[in-house]
Amino acid sequence: MVSLSTGASRSLATVATQTPWKIARRAFTLAAVKIFLFYVIFYGCLAGIFIGTIQALLLTLSNYKPTYQDRVAPPGLSHTPRSVKSEIAYKKSNEESYSKYTDAMTAFLKMYDLDIQTDGQNYEDCGVTPQTYKDRGGLEDSELGQRKACRFDRKLLGVCSGLDDPHYGFNEGKPCLIVKLNRIVNFKPRAPTNNQSLPEALQAKSQPNLIPIYCKNKREEDESKIGEIKYYGMGEGFPLQYYPYYGRLLHAQYLQPLVAIQFTNLTLDQELRIECKVYGANIDYSEKDRYQGRFDVKFTISS
Amino acid sequence: MGDKDKSPKKKKGGKDMDELKKEVPITEHKMSIEEVCRKFQTDCVQGLTNAKAAEYLIRDGPNALTPPPTTPEWVKFCRQLFGGFSVLLWTGAVLCFLAYAIQAATEDDPAGDNLYLGIVLTAVVVITGCFSYFQEAKSSKIMESFKNMVPQQALVIREGEKVQINAEEVVGGDLVEVKGGDRIPADIRVVSAHGCKVDNSSLTGESEPQSRSPDNTHDNPLETRNVAFFSTNCVEGTARGIVICTGDHTVMGRIATLTSGLETGKTPIAKEIEHFIHIITGVAVFLGVTFFILAIVLGYSWLEAVIFLIGIIVANVPEGLLATVTVCLTLTAKRMAKKNCLVKNLEAVETLGSTSTICSDKTGTLTQNRMTVAHMWFDNQIHEADTTEDQSGASFDKSSVTWLSLARVAGLCNRAQFKAGQDALPILKRDVAGDASESALLKCIELCCGSVRANRDRNKKVAEIPFNSTNKYQLSIHETEDTNDNRYLLVMKGAPERILDCCSTIMVQGKEQPMDEELKESFQNAYMELGGLGERVLGFCHTMLAEDQYPKGFAFDTDDVNFQTDQLCFIGLMSMIDPPRAAVPDAVGKCRSAGIKVIMVTGDHPITAKAIAKGVGIISEGNETVEDIAARLNIPVSQVNPRDAKACVIHGTDLKDLSQDQMDDILRNHTEIVFARTSPQQKLIIVEGCQRLGAIVAVTGDGVNDSPALKKADIGVAMGISGSDVSKQAADMILLDDNFASIVTGVEEGRLIFDNLKKSIAYTLTSNIPEITPFLLFICANIPLPLGTITILCIDLGTDMVPAISLAYETAESDIMKRQPRNPFRDKLVNERLISIAYGQIGMIQAVAGFFAYFVILAENGFLPSRLVGIRLNWDDRSVNDLEDSYGQQWTYEQRKIVEFTCHTAFFVSIVVVQWADVIICKTRRNSVFQQGMRNKILIFGLFEETALAAFLSYCPGMDVALRMYPLKPSWWFCAFPYSFLIFVYDEVRKLLLRRNPGGWVERETYY
Repeated sequence: MVSLSTGASRSLATVATQTPWKIARRAFTLAAVKIFLFYVIFYGCLAGIFIGTIQALLLTLSNYKPTYQDRVAPPGLSHTPRSVKSEIAYKKSNEESYSKYTDAMTAFLKMYDLDIQTDGQNYEDCGVTPQTYKDRGGLEDSELGQRKACRFDRKLLGVCSGLDDPHYGFNEGKPCLIVKLNRIVNFKPRAPTNNQSLPEALQAKSQPNLIPIYCKNKREEDESKIGEIKYYGMGEGFPLQYYPYYGRLLHAQYLQPLVAIQFTNLTLDQELRIECKVYGANIDYSEKDRYQGRFDVKFTISS
Repeated sequence: MGDKDKSPKKKKGGKDMDELKKEVPITEHKMSIEEVCRKFQTDCVQGLTNAKAAEYLIRDGPNALTPPPTTPEWVKFCRQLFGGFSVLLWTGAVLCFLAYAIQAATEDDPAGDNLYLGIVLTAVVVITGCFSYFQEAKSSKIMESFKNMVPQQALVIREGEKVQINAEEVVGGDLVEVKGGDRIPADIRVVSAHGCKVDNSSLTGESEPQSRSPDNTHDNPLETRNVAFFSTNCVEGTARGIVICTGDHTVMGRIATLTSGLETGKTPIAKEIEHFIHIITGVAVFLGVTFFILAIVLGYSWLEAVIFLIGIIVANVPEGLLATVTVCLTLTAKRMAKKNCLVKNLEAVETLGSTSTICSDKTGTLTQNRMTVAHMWFDNQIHEADTTEDQSGASFDKSSVTWLSLARVAGLCNRAQFKAGQDALPILKRDVAGDASESALLKCIELCCGSVRANRDRNKKVAEIPFNSTNKYQLSIHETEDTNDNRYLLVMKGAPERILDCCSTIMVQGKEQPMDEELKESFQNAYMELGGLGERVLGFCHTMLAEDQYPKGFAFDTDDVNFQTDQLCFIGLMSMIDPPRAAVPDAVGKCRSAGIKVIMVTGDHPITAKAIAKGVGIISEGNETVEDIAARLNIPVSQVNPRDAKACVIHGTDLKDLSQDQMDDILRNHTEIVFARTSPQQKLIIVEGCQRLGAIVAVTGDGVNDSPALKKADIGVAMGISGSDVSKQAADMILLDDNFASIVTGVEEGRLIFDNLKKSIAYTLTSNIPEITPFLLFICANIPLPLGTITILCIDLGTDMVPAISLAYETAESDIMKRQPRNPFRDKLVNERLISIAYGQIGMIQAVAGFFAYFVILAENGFLPSRLVGIRLNWDDRSVNDLEDSYGQQWTYEQRKIVEFTCHTAFFVSIVVVQWADVIICKTRRNSVFQQGMRNKILIFGLFEETALAAFLSYCPGMDVALRMYPLKPSWWFCAFPYSFLIFVYDEVRKLLLRRNPGGWVERETYY
């Protein structure tokens, strides 16, 4: 524009000097566009190939059961509320300090509300005492369709059911923990075969179709400080009629059995380490995995 | 910042250097002795007074070479530790520690990854730093080698008394005395001399001892006869002189200071690596910042984003590359050493490959460094003698009687003799006591006519006049071998015109004929012709002394000549030259076809220099100098257009008057240049001139006078056999066999390693993408981390190493000696095309292969790809011990982490698998692998080695604890196979298109 307003000769000169530059720029942009196009096509093809191989992978997978289960079994033992760094600490008198625990329990137990379990299509009663496994047909037997799930009544959890006490004993310094054995498709936990391996307290009340659970102090010196521990749930353990689990697709309504543990007399203002363990013939513990077949938790309740 | 600090200092140093680069400012040789005495207030008989000497000593300092300020060892070590590539790794390490510090401050249980990575990076830099330090520690002893040349003692005359003093105490004005075998203690102006000869070879490169006398014979102090130089040797005779310069001010001192003080530039490969670091850093910072912003946008906290930023930058650092490059260069250095090129400085390995100009010394490098009889003229005809090293050349008719006479004169009138105890050696290899021309004659005669010594025994010498510069001839008188003949034989040799003057007859075909005008003309022509070949011509004549005048037992008086020295019979001429080495013309030709300009720089005379240059092809056949054109057209030199002449011969004295522009002009416009009669400073100026034009310059030389140029050159090449200690110290490379042809090997190896380094780097960089992308997807898609820090290190410092190094053993794809030297401004070691291929294409395929393996493992364990996106927060939460997978199963933290680490292992194994294909495609840049073949055994070993290592890391018990790597199910090894195949096919197709379409789009955008 400027060059137009000035003398003709000068504008000519500017054009002459600018043109090669413009050509160079156009050539450059053209090259850039070409390269860009190339990469678009290249990555397009690559993405196609990737999606193709992923599709091929998915074809090889079963809908009902993962190819390998050697890493997920034996099952983990998990508890609600979760502990951060396996620590549960709160102030008895301060509701805010424990509401995150109780809220989590309420949310979790909502799945076990009886009014969801009324539907007879999906649920059935499996008795009130521990019984043996309930076989609902082969896993890959697609004609059988959805499998029924055993009902699990929250009332079994007694004072820890949250039905009567929305604080789950936290306000009294008698906190509850809800414990479950992690779900594994087609996994049948077996009751302990050998009584000798059980802790003394369990040996007396051993039942055949039950995976018992037992908690005790982790450290010697805490022995006198943890007081009585109460267990609630069918047979105070995990009854076998709830197994096996048929996977999300076939067993969408499945409810895993729960056990509630209440620590009724914990010494206040002290860090107490408690270890809970389930016992079964095919349940293992690992040095490294602190949640496989057991867990430990630190309680610090201040008044 | 560092540059800013340095610049004023450098400027000052530069000024001193410029001063030193000027010609020697000695003027005393033009003064009369009295003037010199007056200048130094000394006396040419009595010498200095002790008081004056002490005063001067305090004023001028001791007569010794001042060592340059040496950099302390720890500074050198630090330079290795923090220079070049290391900076990148250090930055990485510091960032790692920083990230760890941030994590440690904000989290209770920080992941150790960054700490380990920082430690490993530090270890890598320190180890490679130490390695290079010990490599370099051997060199840089220039000043020490100069000091070895300095004499210890000197004989001075003070207050009229001769005193032996320490050479350091010699001062200007001292009257010193030297005799044969002494080293000259300072630069001296000769006052009186008796048959004094000095060996100036270390200064000027001239191997002939030169006589010294009080007369000024030349304006140039280096050429005049009346100055003898510090630390040169007095070979014979005695001389007395006044010291005019001492210590650092002497000619030798100036060379020493110049050499040790010269700042040498970075080697081409160092520049390339710097450029490479810029690219890598650019990519790393770009990626880091992009994902930093992305992380912020995605809602990560500032702190997390910073840690991601650091992680991405560090992941871009190719940890193993520094070691790979060092090892590749070391391997090539070893290979070159086997071929007689000893490389002192590792980085110089590649420099010869980039060289575009070679400035070669003549004596010893291009030539055999021994005078040899090249031509003879007798029977009115020029005969050619055999000058080859192995006597394979042509011979001439030896049956002529004239030749026998010539051989007899040459053998008898000759003081040279073989040193004892060498009978087993071939004649040409034997050591000779005597000057170069006489040795040449001796060897020539010994070769043609058998033992000279036996001949001398049969013809006893009765009198002799040795050669001197006034007579310009040498004469001896012998008894004849025929016992019945009582006549004496007089034999004589010397400057041809001088000999001719003494002769009245000439021998033709064994018969004496009177010397007529026609024969004289013929003689003149032969003399001119041989002289024009740059050869040193000697004339020979003899006569039988008449028995009646000189009966047996006649007392010949050589001082007061009492016998006939004229009316002799002229026999012939013999001419000598230091002939070129046999392999040199071929080597020069190879350099030519490799696009390398060969310039001859010599201290010798222009005619000789030009003759040798023509002989070895530095001035190729048919090319003319300005002077040649002028002579051909019969016009004055000034009328010739200098552009018409491709070749030129430039005399040192002309060079002195040239401006920088004129110098550039000469270097730019002449392809074939010979510099004759050059001083050490001029050699340096020539080298700098070439470098100013952008050339990468190699300099070969053997003398002390070459050392500044050797040091300044991009690569100085010294001679292993004939080279002086100083030149070897100043050089970067030593030719163990002194043969110019070895340089060609060096060039070839250098070019090959440059190509192969490209391949190595392309290979190593490729795996960077599959190492970074997991982290990027971890951030963006919130999936469990597919590849961990430890596995990245296992790739970079483990499996990738041997294949990357093996590429250094790759053979050339085409004749690398047929292409032009690389243009240091355009042909980069690592360019955007290499990055585009390695990062944008092959790397991406590799990343996809890794991700496929990752998804396979997670899916087969229950986590389908759809479940993974967004799972990261729960996945990495230790308190979540019932994480559901796609099948409704619940996982504890540790259980799913084992799966995650199995994924890392599988991703790692997949990278190994795709790197198989990568190393095979990196073998070539243009050819197909099927053309190149798989003959590289180290590479095949590398393939097996990396696979074995990967299997070991995966399956060895205890690895789960040590490196968190878990055994893979066999089928998981095959996940990456299709992608490996894809890489191979993709690149073969690319290279096919590249070959089919030279200069096409594929070549422009993908040929690295």
